[in-house]
Amino acid sequence: MSVTTSRVADALTDGRTALWALVGLLLFLLEAGAFLNFVVGLTIDGILALPGVDAAGFLTTVESAVREIPTLLSRETIPNEGYYDGSGYEGTFLGLSPAIAWALRATLVYLYAFAAFGWGVWGYRIYRRNYRAADWTPRDDVFDRFRGHKWGIFGLVIVFMFVTMAVFAPALGPTTVDQNMRNSYGYETKYWDSDSGSVETILVGDANLDSLSQGNDQNIGPWTYDDYGRFHPFGTMQDGSDLFTFLVVGSRISLVIGVLSVALSASIAATLALTSAYYKGRVDLSMVLISDAVMAMPQLLLLIMLTTVLRETWINEVYSGGFLLALIFAFTGWTYMWRSIRGPALQISEREWIDAARSFGQTPITIMRKHMLPYVTGYLLIYGSMTLGGAIISIAGLSYLGLGVAPPTPEWGRAVNLGQDYVRTGSWHISLIPGILITLVVTGFNALGDGIRDAIDPQSDSAGGETAGAGGGA
Amino acid sequence: MSDTLLEVENLRTVFHTEKETIRAVDGVSFDVERGETVGLVGESGSGKSVTARSVLGLVDEPGVIEEGSIEFCGDELVGGNWDEHRGDIAIVFQDPMNSLNPVYTVGNQIKEALRIHQGLRGQAATDAAIELLEDVGIPDAARRVTEYPHQFSGGMRQRAVIAIALACDPDLLVCDEPTTALDVTIQAQILELLDELQREEDLGVLFITHDMGVIEETTDRVNVMYAGEFVESAPVDELFDDPKHPYTKGLLASIPGRTAGDERLPTIEGEVPTSTSEPSECRFAPRCPHAFDACESVHPERIAVGDPDADHETACLLYDDEFEESPPEDGVVADGGETA
Ligand code: SF4
Repeated sequence: MSVTTSRVADALTDGRTALWALVGLLLFLLEAGAFLNFVVGLTIDGILALPGVDAAGFLTTVESAVREIPTLLSRETIPNEGYYDGSGYEGTFLGLSPAIAWALRATLVYLYAFAAFGWGVWGYRIYRRNYRAADWTPRDDVFDRFRGHKWGIFGLVIVFMFVTMAVFAPALGPTTVDQNMRNSYGYETKYWDSDSGSVETILVGDANLDSLSQGNDQNIGPWTYDDYGRFHPFGTMQDGSDLFTFLVVGSRISLVIGVLSVALSASIAATLALTSAYYKGRVDLSMVLISDAVMAMPQLLLLIMLTTVLRETWINEVYSGGFLLALIFAFTGWTYMWRSIRGPALQISEREWIDAARSFGQTPITIMRKHMLPYVTGYLLIYGSMTLGGAIISIAGLSYLGLGVAPPTPEWGRAVNLGQDYVRTGSWHISLIPGILITLVVTGFNALGDGIRDAIDPQSDSAGGETAGAGGGA
Repeated sequence: MSDTLLEVENLRTVFHTEKETIRAVDGVSFDVERGETVGLVGESGSGKSVTARSVLGLVDEPGVIEEGSIEFCGDELVGGNWDEHRGDIAIVFQDPMNSLNPVYTVGNQIKEALRIHQGLRGQAATDAAIELLEDVGIPDAARRVTEYPHQFSGGMRQRAVIAIALACDPDLLVCDEPTTALDVTIQAQILELLDELQREEDLGVLFITHDMGVIEETTDRVNVMYAGEFVESAPVDELFDDPKHPYTKGLLASIPGRTAGDERLPTIEGEVPTSTSEPSECRFAPRCPHAFDACESVHPERIAVGDPDADHETACLLYDDEFEESPPEDGVVADGGETA
């Protein structure tokens, strides 16, 4: 205990570390409101779910108090929704035009995200140089190799931008899903009517009907304003709602389903691969049989069947059916990952330190976790990254077919589907932009996987003594 | 009797492959007493390592102990009863780079064993780990306990491996070619260390090697292994003074300095065969310079030879009175390899 406290004290008196901590605090404070909002919201949901607790009044006060905390990247701090009143913009940030105000907010969001990332890397460097007991560990090489891998870095940047999009979705959109799509007749918007020379008010739903993108005669393209002074970075959709808002919010569901399904299938795959590598023989054989059986099922047909069969059940209600999708992906997809990591796991199980641990009585579970898992996590990352790209394509593909994530929850594949009638018209953007984004994100995940593979794969290592030594075993 | 740590009786470990059943260890018997070093010598592929793994209960599928018994301090181990004696039998492997996990510090790995066998955690475990590193002769142990295996030299790594083995407080130490991967000078140091530890802790040691020179230096009793069987067993002095089995003689002849003159070292031509069935012949016959007709059709049993007090046995038809062939004069076999 005392050792750690004195270490912390040491760290704070050291200039560089203190600076690092200060920057971290600053970064946190900028977004503290959003963070507290999230935590408080989650806790309140939890408390309200408990039976017999009646504190709604008190809790809502807390909630609104937290909401008041200023946050740099919120829609309220840098608003882009305003109107022209004849002489200038009213309601936008510093009276800037809606386009500029929105662009400023989006840029700030990304600057913030990259700053946070850089801060993390900086912290790791300080730790590695000043605080870690060992000068070098085998993992350092992996990091260093990855840093020199341009294609992998490209993937990392794309993936990071995608994740940022998902995390900051509400702040990034020029408007919100609730206001613009779900509940458009519950909100009003003000605009400058040049004919009458006055500011008028209209329901958002009605404004949307005048902003449709349905071909050459009716089109709000990318980076334009509609008739009501609303700015659309990616244009509008066929029903007049904002495509950019649709896409940023859609990135959330893709990411959540993707991560959930990959995490699930990775844990199934890792558990089974370690078990079959540790016990070998019959255990291994039965796993091969099971995975072959699962693999033999046509994934797409299974997906279509299960989504249809379970359409009416409660499980399809969870997260607009996204949870069900994640489960189906996980239970059909683990086999591929299992196949890929079984080899490395078997290789590791031959190492003598496994036998040494067994000989002194370490439990099988600890041996798998401590002595084998670290060697397959790299492979899990590689295949996880690649599978995630695949999952995103599958989700989009299902929505394109009208299955999967239920409308009106935004999903990229649905945007492609909705716009496909207008691809050859002026409203090409509805299908094309989400299509390009899907391709880019999937490529990014694959590139990241490639980069990680090259960083950890011993094959790409120069002929080291380690591999040579491995051949000497009896 | 009470001093007998390990009693192996008629052990047979086989590997079931798709094509055939390989008898890696085929009916071997030996004892290890407290404070005694028993050697197991043979070429690679003779079944030495599988014997060691069998004793430790580390035989993996498709391998299985098909027959025989392994008793440790009177308790039968075959049948999955190793868990009660985990840590009582420790093993030191050949390649120290491979027997230490490169992602954990040396201290971490010693502490893992300490925690299981002595219930030590935290600072107490660290202190005990440092003490163990000191015991195995690693200088500056307090610093080195936080280092990773790659920061250790080969000899230091093997010392660390020995420290892990000692952390279990074992009664029996199985050394599977512990010095083969090391330089000659380091090799001598490690042997000396093992010897010292054995005397201090009164350990029984099962020492496995292909190196007759190491056997001569370290062991009390030697079992010569060939194709899964013990072809000769004797106290070390008796074996070196009066080897009986042609294979033993061949092994001895291949030690540098034992053959007279400057002629090149004789070697035994050929390889150890893989045994797949009940033997009906002498498995050494294809390579044996003294093989005669009966060797192809009779499996030699172990018979007492040499000094009647020395407990010296060999499995060779030359010493069986039923057959007419008689053992060659000593010395003639020294260049047996060349006549083969
Ligand atoms: S039994 Fe025959 S073949 Fe076998 S060692 Fe003796 S002499 Fe050689």
